[in-house]
Order: sequence, then C-alpha cells, then structure tokens
Amino acid sequence: MSSVPRRIDDVAELGTDEARRSWLATVWEFSRRRPLGAIGGAIVLLNLIVAVGANVLAPYDPVATDYGAMLARPSAAHWLGTDAYGRDVLSRIVYGSRTAMLVGFSCAVLGATIGAVIGVGSAYFGGRVDLIVQRVMDIFLAFPLIILALAVVSILGTGIWNVILAITVPMIPRAALVSRSSALAIREMPYVDAARAAGFRHVRIILRHMLPNVMAPYLIMLTAYLGQAILLEASLSFLGLGVAEPTAAWGLMLRGAAVQFAESAPWMAIFPGLAISLAVFAFNLFGDSLRDALDPRLRTQ
Amino acid sequence: MTKYVVKRLLLMIPTLVGVAVLVFFLMRVVPGDVVELRFAGESSFASKENLDKERARLGLDKPLWKQFVDWMGGIARLDFGVSMWTGAPIIEEIRLRFALSLQLAIMSTLIAVLLAIPLGVLAALKQDTWVDYAVRIFSIAGLATPSFWLGIVFILMLLIVFKWLPPMVYTPFWVNPVQNLAQLIWPALAVGYRYSAVAMRMTRSAMLEVLREDYIRTARAKGLWEKLILSRHALKNAMLPVLTVIALEFAFLMGGLVVTEQVFNLNGLGLLFVESVAHRDYTLTQALVLLVAAVFIFVNFLVELAYAWIDPRIKFR
Repeated sequence: MSSVPRRIDDVAELGTDEARRSWLATVWEFSRRRPLGAIGGAIVLLNLIVAVGANVLAPYDPVATDYGAMLARPSAAHWLGTDAYGRDVLSRIVYGSRTAMLVGFSCAVLGATIGAVIGVGSAYFGGRVDLIVQRVMDIFLAFPLIILALAVVSILGTGIWNVILAITVPMIPRAALVSRSSALAIREMPYVDAARAAGFRHVRIILRHMLPNVMAPYLIMLTAYLGQAILLEASLSFLGLGVAEPTAAWGLMLRGAAVQFAESAPWMAIFPGLAISLAVFAFNLFGDSLRDALDPRLRTQ
Repeated sequence: MTKYVVKRLLLMIPTLVGVAVLVFFLMRVVPGDVVELRFAGESSFASKENLDKERARLGLDKPLWKQFVDWMGGIARLDFGVSMWTGAPIIEEIRLRFALSLQLAIMSTLIAVLLAIPLGVLAALKQDTWVDYAVRIFSIAGLATPSFWLGIVFILMLLIVFKWLPPMVYTPFWVNPVQNLAQLIWPALAVGYRYSAVAMRMTRSAMLEVLREDYIRTARAKGLWEKLILSRHALKNAMLPVLTVIALEFAFLMGGLVVTEQVFNLNGLGLLFVESVAHRDYTLTQALVLLVAAVFIFVNFLVELAYAWIDPRIKFR
C-alpha cells in the first residue's frame, strides 16, 4: 500500500484504470474458457460492423434495379448473383443486416427492459398487484408469439417501427415471467428491507436496488431475444406483414420470386436464409456461453 | 386431488375469457371489415345501403357489448357461429384443417424427441469434449435456422437432386398413407429439427444437473452398472423438464406453424388464421385464437398434473 491516493481525482483514476483492466481481463477469460461463445461474439461484432458500414461495404445500391442483369448467376460482378429485378443479392444482404440489427436490438432491449420492470415491480409490490399483473400476463402468454405479432401488425400496418412494436409486445410477458421469479428472492433480502426502512420511494427501490440484481437473467434474456426477434422479423416479412419493399430485409428477400424461381436461381433463396441463420446462430452461441458464465448454479465446477 | 383438478380447471375460465376479450377488441381495432373487403372488387354493389344491409345481416350494426355478449352466449352453448367470409359453420371450417395440423404437430414432435433425447444425453455425458461441442452447435444451428427457409431448401434439394416434388394436395393418412407421408415428412423434418433444439438443450442441462446429485454418486459407489445408473436413476429424473418443454412446444405447434404451412402449401390452422385475419373474418379469427389458447392452457395444466404425478415431492396445492 505504498501509493495511497491523495486527492479525490486519484481515487477516481485508480478506479477507472482498475475497471478497464478487469474489463479486458474478463473478455480474455471469457474467450479462453468459452471459445464457442467468443466465436459467437466475434460474429455478432462483425455483423454490427457490416450493418453500420453498409453504405461503404455494399458493392451496389441495394434498391437499384438492373433489367439487363435479371436473375444473374453468382459471378465476379455480382458475387451472390442478382434477383428478379436485377438487384445485387450481396448488397441487399449487407443492407438487410441493418434492418435485422435494428429490429433485433430494439425489440430485445425494449422487450426485456419493459418486461423486467413489470416483473420486478409485480414481485416487489406482491399481493393483489402481483395477482392482477400475473393474470394479465397469463392471457398474453396464451397467444403464440407469431399470432400476437400478426395481430399487432394487422392493426398498425407494415413498416419497420410497427414490426418492432409487434415483436416487442409478445416478448414483454415472457420477460416479465422470468424477471419476476428472480426478483421474488431478492425482495426478501435485508438490503431491500433496509432501503424501505430508510424511507426511499418505491420507484427508487425498484430501479436502484432490485433491478441491478436481476442483471444476470436480464442479460441472458436480452441475448436470447435478439436472435428470436431477428427470426420473427424474417417470418413476418416473409409473410408480407413485416418490412415493406423495397427496403432490404432478409425475410423479404425469401418471399415471392425467390420461391418462384428457386430451381433456376437458387442463390436468391439460399443466401438470405444463410444470413439469417448465421446471425441468429452467433447471437445464440454468445448468449448460451454468457448464460453458463453468469448462472451461479453452473459456475461451481 | 379431485379438488385441485377442479379448481385448476375453473381457473382456466377467467384466462380464456381474458383471451376472448382481447381478441374480440383487437380484431375490431383492425382497420376495415369483412363487408368492405368482400365488396371491394365489385364497386357497383358497394353502395352505402348495400354495405349497411350486409353489416346488419352479420350483426355488425349492433353495439359492441351486445356483439360480445351474443358471441360469449353462443360459446357457452358450444355454438361458434358461422364464418363471416364463407358463411360455413366455424366448426366445419376448423374440422377440415384440424387433422392436418394435428398430424403435422405429432410428427414434428416425434422427430424432435427422437433427435433430442439421445443427443442431449450424449452431450451431457461427454461434457466439454468435441462431442458436446458438436451436439451443441447442431442444436444451436437448429434454433437459428428459420424452419420455413429449411423447408425451401428441402424442396429445392428434392427438386434438383431427385427431380421430384412432394405432393401438393393433402391426402388423409387413412386414405393413402404413402401419399400422406410423402407430403408431410418434409415440413415435419424442418419443424422437428428446430424444435428438437430446445428439447436437446433441456435434456443436456437437466442431465448435467442430475448427474451431480448425491444419489448418482451413491449408485456409482456401490458399483452399480453404469448403463443402469443412467437409464434408471439419471434419465428418469432428468426427463421432467424435458417433458415440459416438449409438451409446451407441441401446444405451440398446433397453431403457430403459420409460415411453414405457407411454404409447403399446407391448408392447416396456421394458414386459416392468416386468411381469417386478412379477411377480417371476426368470428373465425376469434374462434381460432380461443382454440389455440385453450389447447395451450390445457397442455400447461396437464404438464403440471404430470409433474405432481411423476415426482412425489411436488404436492398438489
């Protein structure tokens, strides 16, 4: 203990330095012990880079039609071929990752967060509030995910923001269920009693004392929902109820002409599907390893 | 026991009424109605009076609460009414599609179970070896692959490699089993692979948990044959959560195969649902949602009963 911090700034600096080192160390430790998770994380990162840099990376304009090159086979000019309008499949996949990431992250963050607030609040207040909230959630849970999403899209119409809402709505009760069961145990903790005794308001106790302690299930849900949201968006777009043409979206690319010309131009049907699978695969791989790392029951060995 | 079962059955009613209220009002919030859509093509008939007359015939001119009460009253008498689009009785509309959806759900579940349990057990026994990694990658890939896309790939492969397309018209199993299976095995494989992933992960983690229990160590310590330990002690106890997952997936399969049915041109409940929403066929959509919800809630209840029956530590409350 030779370097005792003198000023308040020193303490702050020491803290951040420590935090930075331990953050890097955590990433390193995670990659070493869970190589599959690290591979998943790397693909997710790559996907994000592609989404952000789509305008730089895509060789063509994703909506530009070229009637001279309709249904062209993969070649040097069009690496993954073109579709029925002569649009470059690779460029549409690159831009499609933007749609997928936007939908995936928005839905997962919104769904898991709103669900967590409802679930934790329901557990915290208990009694009649809990009972009513649980019954309402039961009603929503009885709908299959895709059916609820379909209903919401029918009401609001298509378009990316409506799709995000349609996918978020059915996620909320599922997230609430998980966070509630984690929060029930935390409610009994002495520090929650202490906070209540100190006279803090309910909102503050829920946000400051309870929510941070359901972080592990929250993160696990978040990564699981990312993949699910991308899949749901693809399904809705495939049905013609999601993102509308000519926006580039993976599910939309599999619709119509892709099936019609599947025999003569299989690249139209194969590559967008591969893009969906790879993205969801990476999120799941990463989420799985994250769960193993965070779940204390599996941590013992 | 009887008291518990009756109590749980009665508790389903408020949830189902909630579902009914939700779907009833959701449908009426959707812009447009069945009358407008039906007359959309024939503008000469679409005068205001004609539309209103048709609405009156379907009972759409009554106040909402009256429509809801009439509908609920009908259901209490097990009368679901007629489809607003086709005019056929709803029971008939659903009966036509139910056999197909049920068969597809059963076949998919069978495929999922046959894949999931052996592979899940194998992965647990060889934890953290390449076998475990391979099984996990296989299962995560299953979760990641949209089953409708897998369906497209299957059709494509059959077409390109074997120059053969599965039959496009549904034949009931008892009429021609070969024709029937030739059509349904492909969607069942595509859906079953995806659903096996969930069950496989559950099997693996449940086995891992059970294998760490004291009674397994005791069984090993007394020199019991390893195969016997696995089948009689470990697998039996690990099966509970796996059964739950499989049962719940099955319930979802009954109504949730909207997209897969589209790809394989199957006229099942999922497609019927999409069509009924597109036609604003209120009565049919409402009946379908209620049916799917009822199946889901009932399967949930059966799972809970099975839990208490298999595991004597769980008490009926």
